[in-house]
Amino acid sequence: MSQVEKKAGLLRRTSSSKKPLKEKVVLMYDEIFAKEDPAKNNPRFWDELFLMKVNLEYLESKLESVNGEEVQRIQDNINSLFHHCVQALGEEHQIKVVNALQTLCALFRGVHQKNKSASGFDIINMLMGFDKAERRMKDLMERLDSLLCGDSSESLKSLCLKLLLCLVTVTDNISQNTILEYVMINSIFEAILQILSDPSSRGQHGYDAVVLLALLVNYRKYESVNPYIVKLSIVDDEPTLDGMGVVLHQALTEYNRQYKDKEEENQGGFFSTLTSMVGSMFIADVDEKLSVQTNEAILLALYEAVHLNRNFITVLAQSHPEIDIPVTPSTPTPTTPTTPLGTTPPSLDVMNNPELPLDPNLQTSNLLITFLKYASIVMQDTKDEHRLNSARLCLIILTCIAEDQYADAFLHDDNINFRVSLHRMPMRHRKKAAGKNIPSRPLVCAVLDLMVEFIVTHMMKDFPMDLYLRCVQIIHKLLCYQKKCRIRLHYTWRELWSALINLLKFLLSNETTLLAKHNIFHLALLVVNLFNMFITYGDTFLPTSNSYDELYYEIVRMHQVFDNLYCMVLRVSTNTGQWKEAASKVTHALVNIRAIINHFNPKIESYAAVNHISQLSEEQVLEVVRSNYDTLTLKLQDGLDQFERYSEQPKEAAFFKELVGDPMRSSLSLLIQPRYPSRFSFPRPSCHSLISPSVFLTIHSSAVPSVHPLSFHHRSIRPQPVSLLFLLRL
Amino acid sequence: MADTEVSLSPALRPLHISPAHSAQPPPTSSSSPTTFSCPSSPSSASSSSSSSTSSSCSESSSDCPNHHHHHHHHPRPQLQLPPPPPLSEQPSSPSASPRSSSPSGSIGSTGSLGSSSEGIGSSGVSSGGDQRGPSPLLDVISEDAMEMDLVVDQVIDPEVALKACQEVLLKVKLLDNKQQQDDQKHADTTDCCGPPWHMNPDTSSIREEEEENDDEGQRETPAAQKHTPPAASSESPSPSSSKQSWLLRLFESKLFDVSMAISYLYKSKEPGVQAYIGNRLFSFPDGEVDFYLPQLLNMYVHMDTEVGDAIKPYLVHRCRSSITFSLLSAWLLGAYSSDMHISTQRHSRGTKLRKLILSDDLKPRSDEPSSVSGSVSDSPLPSPPHHHRRHNSSNVDACGSPDSADQGDVFVSPSRRTHQRSKSDATMASGFPGAGLRRTGSNPKVEAVHEEPERLRPQREFVKSLFCIGKRLATLPTKEQKTQRLISELSLLNHKLPARVWLPTAEHQHHVCRVPHTQAVVLNSKDKAPYIIYVEVLECNSFETSPVPTRIPETRIRSARSAENLDCGTPGNGSSMTSEHRAGSFSTVPNYDNDDDAWATDDIGQLQVEGEAQTSSSDNISQFSVDSITSLESKEPVFIAAGDIRRRLSENLAQTPTTFRRDPEDPSAVALKEPWEEKVRRIREGSPYGHLPNWRLLSVIVKCGDDLRQELLAYQFLKQLQSIWQQERVPLWIKPYKILVMSSDSGMIEPVLNAVSLHQVRKQSQLSLLDYFLQEHGSFTTEAFLTAQRNFVQSCAGYSLICYLLQVKDRHNGNILLDSEGHIIHIDFGFILSSSPRNLGFETSAFKLTSEFVDVMGGLDGDMFIYYKMLMLQGLIAARKHMEKVLQIVEIMQQGSHLPCFHGSSTIRGLKERFHMSLTEEQLQLLVEQLVDGSMRSITTKLYDSFQYVTNGIM
Repeated sequence: MSQVEKKAGLLRRTSSSKKPLKEKVVLMYDEIFAKEDPAKNNPRFWDELFLMKVNLEYLESKLESVNGEEVQRIQDNINSLFHHCVQALGEEHQIKVVNALQTLCALFRGVHQKNKSASGFDIINMLMGFDKAERRMKDLMERLDSLLCGDSSESLKSLCLKLLLCLVTVTDNISQNTILEYVMINSIFEAILQILSDPSSRGQHGYDAVVLLALLVNYRKYESVNPYIVKLSIVDDEPTLDGMGVVLHQALTEYNRQYKDKEEENQGGFFSTLTSMVGSMFIADVDEKLSVQTNEAILLALYEAVHLNRNFITVLAQSHPEIDIPVTPSTPTPTTPTTPLGTTPPSLDVMNNPELPLDPNLQTSNLLITFLKYASIVMQDTKDEHRLNSARLCLIILTCIAEDQYADAFLHDDNINFRVSLHRMPMRHRKKAAGKNIPSRPLVCAVLDLMVEFIVTHMMKDFPMDLYLRCVQIIHKLLCYQKKCRIRLHYTWRELWSALINLLKFLLSNETTLLAKHNIFHLALLVVNLFNMFITYGDTFLPTSNSYDELYYEIVRMHQVFDNLYCMVLRVSTNTGQWKEAASKVTHALVNIRAIINHFNPKIESYAAVNHISQLSEEQVLEVVRSNYDTLTLKLQDGLDQFERYSEQPKEAAFFKELVGDPMRSSLSLLIQPRYPSRFSFPRPSCHSLISPSVFLTIHSSAVPSVHPLSFHHRSIRPQPVSLLFLLRL
Repeated sequence: MADTEVSLSPALRPLHISPAHSAQPPPTSSSSPTTFSCPSSPSSASSSSSSSTSSSCSESSSDCPNHHHHHHHHPRPQLQLPPPPPLSEQPSSPSASPRSSSPSGSIGSTGSLGSSSEGIGSSGVSSGGDQRGPSPLLDVISEDAMEMDLVVDQVIDPEVALKACQEVLLKVKLLDNKQQQDDQKHADTTDCCGPPWHMNPDTSSIREEEEENDDEGQRETPAAQKHTPPAASSESPSPSSSKQSWLLRLFESKLFDVSMAISYLYKSKEPGVQAYIGNRLFSFPDGEVDFYLPQLLNMYVHMDTEVGDAIKPYLVHRCRSSITFSLLSAWLLGAYSSDMHISTQRHSRGTKLRKLILSDDLKPRSDEPSSVSGSVSDSPLPSPPHHHRRHNSSNVDACGSPDSADQGDVFVSPSRRTHQRSKSDATMASGFPGAGLRRTGSNPKVEAVHEEPERLRPQREFVKSLFCIGKRLATLPTKEQKTQRLISELSLLNHKLPARVWLPTAEHQHHVCRVPHTQAVVLNSKDKAPYIIYVEVLECNSFETSPVPTRIPETRIRSARSAENLDCGTPGNGSSMTSEHRAGSFSTVPNYDNDDDAWATDDIGQLQVEGEAQTSSSDNISQFSVDSITSLESKEPVFIAAGDIRRRLSENLAQTPTTFRRDPEDPSAVALKEPWEEKVRRIREGSPYGHLPNWRLLSVIVKCGDDLRQELLAYQFLKQLQSIWQQERVPLWIKPYKILVMSSDSGMIEPVLNAVSLHQVRKQSQLSLLDYFLQEHGSFTTEAFLTAQRNFVQSCAGYSLICYLLQVKDRHNGNILLDSEGHIIHIDFGFILSSSPRNLGFETSAFKLTSEFVDVMGGLDGDMFIYYKMLMLQGLIAARKHMEKVLQIVEIMQQGSHLPCFHGSSTIRGLKERFHMSLTEEQLQLLVEQLVDGSMRSITTKLYDSFQYVTNGIM
């Protein structure tokens, strides 16, 4: 969401209250923005300020409206305000703490808004003053840490996280946010972990915590030593890692559910199909409807966890009940004041419930499956930048998974069988896969299916070369594992073979257009080498001897493609040009395939001639293949089962920089709204004593949608543009 | 009568009795207590006041609260006592001699009491009354001693009687020794630990209990009167006494074993005999008695009070000393009581004991020795059981004598703590308080169940959660869903492990540390959801006292594995196996390349703070080792023949051991077919606990919704026959598998390892049985085949006899297993004796003998078939010889049972007849021929199989 929108939202609010009376708090703000020290006349000024309900709009706009010279004059007062905010965080009165948190948030935002171009140091100077900055930030982080770890109310914790998120996202590029340097020094990592390890706090703040962690990890990750990276990589506490997994799982599940709902909405019933058909005649882009905002922050968090933490891999396979069924608009008790405030809501958290809910429709799932489903949705459409990035990130995560030995172990574990219904793009030449009939298979089959699906569906003019490369590499890594461990996966390899051959065909037929942008020879080499894996090492991982015959059958059947490819690479490699070397690699790689074709084709032809059959059946061809192996010699190729291991640096650095840069921010501003609206549960007495209960009643009725705190039941796919600001005002 | 006994005793003194006892010539009942027993001792009170009623007993006991007090909290010294102290030692301690004589004195006195109904009445009350409190076994035994003595006095030849007493006296002596110590201590501690207020709650509680039991007591007292006085007076002493003396001689003889004890306990109507046997139980090894636990408990539940009273002390004692026994008893009591709703009074007997056990009042007094001898020595402490029990409970639970309670607490606290928490936080076990707390917090449910006894709770919860899983699984429609659900449920269970829980089917003491959830499978059943789980355990010395192992996080395995990789730097050793076997139940063969290490590295390597940094570099080197180097160095291209690749492929495929194909409708087939050794190794490698030397893998079938009582009966039946055949050296082979009855509709079964059902064999292999044998074991002449064939014949003969004797029905191929050595094993004894499935009248043959079986045996004319028949004959003859032993198991269980297998009146008679006691061996041989013939011809077998195929899809 852009800043404009935020302002708009802000304006709406202010305009609704016509001619606002000058609240006392506004007057006090004005005092701050005067030159004088506000405490000079009123020694209790700061005390009183934090008892007032914050008027963020005013404060923020005030900050923004200050011009350069004024800044110098009022800097002392702002420093003082910041200082007192930090101090107020240690107050016993929760209301003061709340107000201080909100004020801080407004300060961060306002100052940054004002000084978009200013260096981080100027901002720090303006907020805290250089000399005191270190101390102030240390105090702030310590206070936040103790608020997050202590037994303060959930809403307070939520606010703390919001403040941190606000701080982290306040600049366009996270790495330019110099204030974060202090967050690096004064780590709140432990507080985040604690939130994740405790089921109830995880339920309420898990999402924010995970996003915050993912963002902090990405702060100057390539330039300096980021303590969050180091710490995250060595976490081995099971409950914490599981907790992280649960949060990610729930977020992705929620996305998948939204997508499914939308999809069903689109094809619900005959009438709607009819109307959409009719509609599609006029409106070109029906697909638009199906796009659901992707969630890159969560993906990023998943990536960081998988990539940085070895132990997290086990969490991927941890079973959860699939929270696929929309939680019945749960008795709206949570929002009614009947429930005693401050109690933790009944959570769906698996760690908490020793017994899973008894529901036959409840499919068990795990994070990996949910992720695969998510990826299958995201990969369907890579046209816009966001989705392309999401798809890329998905493939990167899969690459990490495919490289991990433990992950491979459970991917291939014959005892962990699941039906994974991937989303498939509706295409002209194929029926929409009958989702029900997917057999229950080891998880690796789903990964392979997903890869095949991607290969088949993305042969387009705007060729996502990068994604294809990753995709083929993932397959290669899986094959290497199978070869190494002698795992004979009962997979219909034929689908993969024909998908790969079709890919080669596509590369050939679009040679000229593609060559303008991409090195298609690299991809071709990878694909050919996949075939070489099957040809030379098939004995170690193919499930049946028949499948080896089928491989030959497929190659021979599609020999035209390989022949053409050979011609093409030969032509390019004999010319002098930038692709010379790349093409010649492919010619070498093709040696065995050509040997097979040249060996069997004449045999088959003569068989047909001898038996006077014009069209040989598959069985007959297979028979010829079987009886002619012995006269065929193949060349053992080097390094077929070697692969380059994934490393983020330097290759992917740019991508991640971009990801956590602007696009991430825009998707983040959506995230920062509460996924599961936290209930504002202030201890009643203290509230009463300070503020009229009506304030809280309005909070309940307006700001918090009446849903179960954990239900993820936002029916609205595109979340309303609720600005962070708005939320922070409770 | 007392006189006779007493007068005789001195004569026997030199022979059998310890000096202590010899110092005990109580001429009259009245004198004995006053002279010899501690005046404050309740026992003396009860015995001295010959006319005292139970109430007077309690009064007297309440007079000396300190006394029971010390009873209760002094067991520690008892424990420290050396086992039977040398006899000579006893008099040496000054206070010992008078005191030690007190029990025998009490015996004498009760003997004199014999005629008075009150004496018996009191015992009746005490035993009939709800024995809720943790009755210290000593008292009860002493009570038995009284009773026994009484009977002995009346009907048994005094000489023998004394002999009979001998054992009891020996125990007495031990106890006395202790008691005197106790008393000494007692004297010391009276002031400090015998608070005066102690008295009141005690007495009042006793009063209460008496009132509660009033009607019971009243009802039972007349019964006892009816029974005993005639025995005392009207029965002509001489014949019966001689009969009894023979009996006693038998009891004393070496031949007298548990089986006989149980038999007499069941058959004898003589309370004395029953009481004697009740006492004798203590002298048998625990394991032997355990076998008859179902019988004991069934008698306790369903038979008259006398039997119950006789058994109870033993049960209580065992419960006190062992959690396992407590739970087993509680489960069985629950199951056996379930049949009786009508007679509420009786009902309460079994359930009362069950409640007592589950209330955990029977937790060992912190120091109670678990050995029998230790507590037996307590036995004769002569005090009315009542107030002791009361006292115990009130004392321990409510007020607690300061010193015992404290000490107890200190003593138990570590283990207690784990009990309490183990369910919720496994990490807790070894000083990991932070994590422990967190975990506890995360599981409020566990906290809520606090009133349940600490001692038994973890195990009960464990079992309960397993059954809950079973129940939930039953609601799911397909096998696949069930299995998936099972796996995820178990993975949750894993979070709570390790804990102080164990698998009751196991031989050794252990703690369960992990359930490899992905290995669990749902078994074939139509509407229930039995499932098999594999359980990783860590063996330990004592399940109850050894510390619960620390939780090792699942993720830890990774670091462990990379460490493993480091160790085997040399190429070609086991390192490659690790990954291979973890990979699942795929067929794998040793790897020839060693690029394994390449997998251990990744770009996070640098971040690993542990010493892995160096290793990763070495890994990188090895990464380039085999594959690339071979080809890089040899510049000339290496050629391979496509034919070789193809050949290797088919050879590799052929080499791999025959596995079953995964079938979503029959998920268990694959799991059960995998050789156990293989499975153990695979799971061990995948387990974070696998490296521990005491790691073991167990498995268990959890059945819920099924009544396993018949299975248990069948198990006992089989076990008994097995031991008979072993004893008689008949090489019949059967495999009784352990059954745990946990309620009338749930339980656990010990799975038969390495065995799949004939149905699965058929369905998966599509071969005839003989061909399957040939495929699995080799051709006709191979050693392997011949061994398998012999195994098949021996097991066939064994089970044919079993099926005949026990009338096992429902013999379809799903209920017959074939193990990897060729044995057949019958499972599912749901239809035995008088019951048969749906009364369709199928399966009229004696047992199942299909032509396929005969084929495996080498045909009708084969030697093996003749051997089969011969084995059956031998088996039958051996079984006949020990028929009583076998019969008794069934007979006792029939008591009060509504099980379908006891339907009708002729169950036992029919069973007896099938042993054909009257036939000569020649006639028996003919019978066997007939049976075999009939079974083979039986058209109904075939019919039943096809019936099963049609209805249940069982081939």
